[in-house]
Formats: sequence, structure tokens, C-alpha cells
Amino acid sequence: MDDKRNDRRDAELDRYFALARQAPPDISGIERNFETRVMARIREIREPWYAWAWRLAPIFLALTILLAGWSLSYSPLHPADPVTMLASGTQEIALLDHLTGE
Amino acid sequence: MAVPDEDAVLVRSAIGGDDEAFTELVRRHKGTVLRSASRFARNPEELEDLGQETFLRVYRDLRSFRGDAPFGHWLSRITVRVCYDALRKRRREEKDVSLEVLAAPVADPSTGNGPSAQLARMILDQAMSRLKPEDRLVITLFELEDRSVREVAVLTGWSETRVKVRAFRARQALKRHIGGDDGR
Repeated sequence: MDDKRNDRRDAELDRYFALARQAPPDISGIERNFETRVMARIREIREPWYAWAWRLAPIFLALTILLAGWSLSYSPLHPADPVTMLASGTQEIALLDHLTGE
Repeated sequence: MAVPDEDAVLVRSAIGGDDEAFTELVRRHKGTVLRSASRFARNPEELEDLGQETFLRVYRDLRSFRGDAPFGHWLSRITVRVCYDALRKRRREEKDVSLEVLAAPVADPSTGNGPSAQLARMILDQAMSRLKPEDRLVITLFELEDRSVREVAVLTGWSETRVKVRAFRARQALKRHIGGDDGR
């Protein structure tokens, strides 16, 4: 009785294996550009600064934009350079500064 | 299928620092590695990880490739080792897996009746997840990849006797799990 049950289960298991062999897993999605991703991982391990440089790039870009915006919007009340002062029509201030020794 | 001699040339170039040569090796063998690893992965993310880990180890150990056997054989051994390590790491997580799906009936594939091939795979995956890592490795290579005892022994580095014993135990355990009398 047990032998028969064992044989039946053996056959059942073999059918499962046969069916599973018929269904090879679909790897097409992962195969696409797989080598590019592997090489990126290798580069990350070999040159850690390379990965960090890419991760920090957006921060540097944002900082650059902020600095550029700030420098464009900045206009000092009293330009320090006397030539600039004369050119921008602030001769009186320049003269006063010169006379008072400031 | 890649020509072994060309592989050897690519390996030598890759050892010399030629990234393009290593990329070509990955391109040539990724299908074989991913197909083999897919028998052990639970989802596409895990398959990606197994594939990448395999090629990272290949890259790291490239200098130890002696070239007295085809590159593909060496690569298969690394793939099996990576998958085995993953099975061992995952062992604890899968102890409480549900086996309700194992109640599904199975039919003769020649008649076309019964569960689909995908369902059979799912049922087997669930049952196999309860095996010991070494039993699962052997039964997968043996039954799903249709490899001989000798091939499995070479791939795992175990003796043929050990492989046979593992395969027998794995089959017995699978029959118990699928038959539903696993003592749970």
C-alpha cells in the first residue's frame, strides 16, 4: 500500500518537474543592457569617487545656480572701486570719501 | 554559444585592464548565467542581484582562471556557488512559507490537462524553499537543469556519492511536502 503511494508520488513529482522544465523563466527584461549595469557596479567598486561624484553632481549644480542668481541680483550701494564710482555717476560720494579719508 | 578560445583572449585582455573585453565576456555569457540563476531567484530583482554578483566575482577572481578548461565551465561553477550562498542566506526567511498552493492537482503534461507550467514551477518553488540549501541546489541542477550526477559533482565541488545522497533526500522531502504529510 505504502509502496503504491510512494510510486504515485514519484510520478506526480516527475510530472511537476517535467512541467517546470517546459516553462523556462523569462529573462529577456533583465538581459537587456545587463552588461552596462554590471560594468557600472564594477566601476563603483573600483573607483568609489566616481560614484560619489555622480551622486553629488546635483548638489553642485544647485549651488552653482544659487550663486549665479545671487551674484546677478547683488548690487552694492557704494561700489568700492573709485573708477566704477565715477563712471556710475557717484562722483560726489567719491569726492566726499576722498576728502574725509574714508 | 561563445567560442572558448575567443573567451580566453577576452579574459587575457580583461586581466590587462581592458573594460571593453570584460563587457564582451558579460554580453556573451549573461544568458547562460541568468537562465541558470533564474532557477533559484524568487523575483526579477533577486535574479538581477544574482547575475551581477556572479559577474562581480568573475571580475574579482579573473586572475585565478587558468584556462585549462573552457571559460563557460569556470563561470558555471561560480554561478552555482553564488546561488548556493544566496540559498543559505535566505534559508531562515522562508521557513514559514504557506503551502496552501500545494493542494493544486497535477496532471500528465502529455495530455495538456491540469495546471500550467507556471503553476507547476510555483508549486515546486514553494516546496523546494523548504529544503536544505544543499538539497535544493542538487535537485535543481539535477531535475530542472537536467544535469548528470557527474556534472553536478563538478559544479558543486562535492563527491558523486554526496550528490546522489542529497538528490535522494531532496526527492523524499519534496514528495512529503507536496503530498502534504510533512508533519506540520
